[in-house]
Amino acid sequence: MPSIRRILAVLSTSALTLTLIGCDNGSSSSSNSGADANEPTLTIASNVVGGKNPQEDQQFAAEIGQALHCKVNFIHIPTDYDQKLQAMLSSGQKLDVIYTTGPNLADMVQNGEVMDLQSKIQQSPVLGNPKVVPQWEWNDIRIPQTNGIYAVPVKYQGALMPIVRQDWMNELGLSQPKTLNDFYHIFQVFKEKKGVYGLTLSQLYDIEPFMSAVGLKNEYVMVNGKRTIPYATSEAVPVYEWLHKLYTDKLLDPNFVTNSTADERNEFLSGRVGMFVYWDAWVPMLNNLASTAGAASTFDAEALPGAVGPDGKVLVSKGDTSVWAIPKNAPHPDLAFKFLEWWNTEAGEVLGSLGVKGVDYTVSGGKYQLTEVGKAENMDHGDPQPISSEWKNPFPALQKGYAKAKSIGVQYGYQPTSLPGWTEAQKIVWQYGEEAVLGKLSAQEAVAEMHATLLQKHLVDE
Amino acid sequence: MASTQTLSPRTSMTATTLRTQRAAKLKHAVPLYLMLLPAIAYFVIMTYYPLAHAVLISMQNFRFIGNRPFVGFQNYVDVLSDSEFWSSFANTSILGAGILVIGFVAPIVIALSLNEVLQSWLKRTIQMVIYIPHLFSWVVVGGLWIYMLTPDGGLVNTVLQVLHLPQVQFMTNPNLARWVLILVTVWKEVGFNCILYLAAIVGINPALYESARVDGATRWHEMWHVTIPMLRRTMKVVGLLSIMGLLRLFQQIYVMRNAVIEPKVDVLMTYVYDKGLQQMNIGQATASALLILLFTLLLTLITRRLVQYNEL
Amino acid sequence: MPRFATRVGNTLFVFVNVAFLLLICATMIIPLWNALAVSFSSNLASMQPGIQLWPRHFSLSGYRTIWSVLAIWKPFENSVIVTVVGTVLHVLLSALAGYALAQPRFPGRRALTVFILVTMMIPFEAIMIPVYVTMQQLGLLNTLAALILSGMVSGFSILLMRNFFLSIPGDILESARIDGAGHFRLFWRICLPLSKAGLATVTLFEFVGRWNDILSTILFVNDPSKYTLQVALNALVNSGDSMSSGELVTNNVKMAGIVIAILPLILVYPFVQKYFVKGIFLGSTKE
Repeated sequence: MPSIRRILAVLSTSALTLTLIGCDNGSSSSSNSGADANEPTLTIASNVVGGKNPQEDQQFAAEIGQALHCKVNFIHIPTDYDQKLQAMLSSGQKLDVIYTTGPNLADMVQNGEVMDLQSKIQQSPVLGNPKVVPQWEWNDIRIPQTNGIYAVPVKYQGALMPIVRQDWMNELGLSQPKTLNDFYHIFQVFKEKKGVYGLTLSQLYDIEPFMSAVGLKNEYVMVNGKRTIPYATSEAVPVYEWLHKLYTDKLLDPNFVTNSTADERNEFLSGRVGMFVYWDAWVPMLNNLASTAGAASTFDAEALPGAVGPDGKVLVSKGDTSVWAIPKNAPHPDLAFKFLEWWNTEAGEVLGSLGVKGVDYTVSGGKYQLTEVGKAENMDHGDPQPISSEWKNPFPALQKGYAKAKSIGVQYGYQPTSLPGWTEAQKIVWQYGEEAVLGKLSAQEAVAEMHATLLQKHLVDE
Repeated sequence: MASTQTLSPRTSMTATTLRTQRAAKLKHAVPLYLMLLPAIAYFVIMTYYPLAHAVLISMQNFRFIGNRPFVGFQNYVDVLSDSEFWSSFANTSILGAGILVIGFVAPIVIALSLNEVLQSWLKRTIQMVIYIPHLFSWVVVGGLWIYMLTPDGGLVNTVLQVLHLPQVQFMTNPNLARWVLILVTVWKEVGFNCILYLAAIVGINPALYESARVDGATRWHEMWHVTIPMLRRTMKVVGLLSIMGLLRLFQQIYVMRNAVIEPKVDVLMTYVYDKGLQQMNIGQATASALLILLFTLLLTLITRRLVQYNEL
Repeated sequence: MPRFATRVGNTLFVFVNVAFLLLICATMIIPLWNALAVSFSSNLASMQPGIQLWPRHFSLSGYRTIWSVLAIWKPFENSVIVTVVGTVLHVLLSALAGYALAQPRFPGRRALTVFILVTMMIPFEAIMIPVYVTMQQLGLLNTLAALILSGMVSGFSILLMRNFFLSIPGDILESARIDGAGHFRLFWRICLPLSKAGLATVTLFEFVGRWNDILSTILFVNDPSKYTLQVALNALVNSGDSMSSGELVTNNVKMAGIVIAILPLILVYPFVQKYFVKGIFLGSTKE
């Protein structure tokens, strides 16, 4: 039976190929080569921190390995990170350091999956120094239920604030807005003189600078031990009405419901809109990008504080902190902690911002020089704005607008209270809020229904 | 054992023939089992074994690190008493029904109409073009259609404007958005099923057409009395496949949803996704995913009762 | 008179029919066309919102960026290995199983069919973590073999192949059986050659599916030297859209990545398609 033999031949060859391909199982990912065989291996799982391609990841890992005298297994997953992290942890794979964000960290603490680092941090000459990591950063990531600190921030998180085309403001003789009416006026002038929308949003992700006018905070606020959501109270009605007016007067980009944050940035950079609400760290990046991408030569993005509230205060909300944490079953917890310290020293800060020496930048005579690759990567390798007050970016010319933006965040920023259930609550707030902005419901009706739905689903207490 | 020994010669002889018959049958089937072996082995290792593991996870208070207490059916109870799960179920049914019906008819219509094109270069080109959307990920296709349908600068609204028709807000009107999702899904996958029908049409014995032509059939008659009946088996397979995939509707919703339409378009799989990846509740996420499997099994059983899948 | 009417009717029908198909095609060309137009635009112009049907400020900088940042050959090689080996195995094994299930009656046929059908209803999310654990137990994590193994057969392909085998006229098989051919011989010599259209279909589906697969590579592979083209491009093109940081990837770079990723498929397609046409001749010249 020649045919049987042929099939068997095909099958066995394929099986052989499989085993052959399966055989080179030995090499681990992104390991730095040339390290001493006896050195331990530090395994890091990262999402936004790292190189921009596989080779850069290897160089990135090598830098960490040289600094800490160990081998580094740097698992960098830019997309679908959560799936991968969950699978690795569930399978019992041992990781030393994991990247995660605020809400997920809280869940992991609740399940007892990460180490409490509080005492180690207090004793650390680097992390215990308030000049390196100020006290309020620790307060922001402290887990209230256990009063412990389970992670170290990856970067200065920054806040969401209005970012405006300052060159247009100057050209049109507009001054810094204080009230919602001032903002309205600016949008109107932008529309008349520049033929653009005044404001764009990405859903209701970023309306806090306007809610600031009525002094309402985003997410949850505890009032006498009860959970409330200020955006779902009648005090928010004037802001929804104001947004609806922007919408009907065609000052608000009508695509805001479907916009991603990338869409907002693109519209702003390409001169289709005068203002949007985004992170402070992006102000210099937008300015740099505008010059490399060929935007108008006058392009100048600058941050603004939110509208002034009834008590004269301004509010801007900070982002969910991105952090490094150490799993309870980490094989090298001490080495892992050493990495967290090193990340906040100058060498670590340079790696996280500028990138890898010899690839992204060169140093000669103590002077830094960005390479072409380094320029393209815009000094962001996961830590564009390190926390430490001792950190000075070596390229002040490429930090245009950042000082002002950061000061707004420091002065007015607050960390929203993100209680369990917020993801579900946010859907409801956005749904009715957007219906109010679009005019499908009056602002009063929208807020009333929003609040009723939240109560019914036990997402607020009163 | 004792009774076999006291059997009468006649009965024992019938038993032997039966046994030899069964043995012959088995022997005849041995090569068939060999052919199925790799597939069965694969499914056991890569599907059923993980599935059993998943059933275990769904009954645990799952943690990544540390012990995982057994909680019985608690996760299932929690999911089944969650109103969000049931509203997702309702949305899945509505969107699924739309996709099922339109997605079933559209590829047949296109395949038949393509079959009427006589120029083979044109036929081949069209056949290829129809498949193009399938090559793109939902992220690309979803983003593209959102752009096409935006009120400001979207292609569709620009065309409406030129025709002096009122502007339409497709993605902020929940009822319209449902239609958009149904039609975009059909649009993206129509080329895929169309190829199945075309391959089946190619396989139709030309002698059937010849004899129909001898009987004086027009092309319309040929299509109606030869082509369509010969596609029945493919239709059944495609129909069954769509039904089995119905409750797993996910990517397009995930990419195209927004807050205003979410209550009307969130489906069962977005529920699983939100539970598992956003709230890191692996136990409940797995339980709800297994419930989807259970519902699909029921749905398939019912379909097989209603439509006669005698050969399946 | 009636004859004239039918001729007019026919012409009208052909016209309407072709117009209908071309209209549908026009909408389907749009994504590819838009991707091409944007990929050849300059950085800034590519960020203009909306659909673009022509490059604004023609520029190659999107492709240049990808070329300079990504060493494309290794991921490309990995993709080719995984896709070609995986597809060949997949089609062969699915065809074998499909042939067996197409046979009328043998003990356990019904049970085995149900066994295979059920696998098609399982949502991957339900078994994602367990599958990862299984791969770990098999020692296949971080190998290309894991990528080839995952999806090595599928209920879908088995069902399709079975369906194509069922449509082979019974008398051909019967005469071969009388000549004393066994199942393997029937499968290899008679059924496979008669099912070229079916094989082409399954090959096309599997090839495209494997080429575009991202999640299994992300799940099963850590070592960047084993990344496939899609994952390498995806990491480059879609990274950094999270939270307060991340570089901005301009749309021309994104679209250039998408074009590079699907270009091989569009080049391979005509060769696969030839088999549909061949199938027509085979059907008419049955031995």
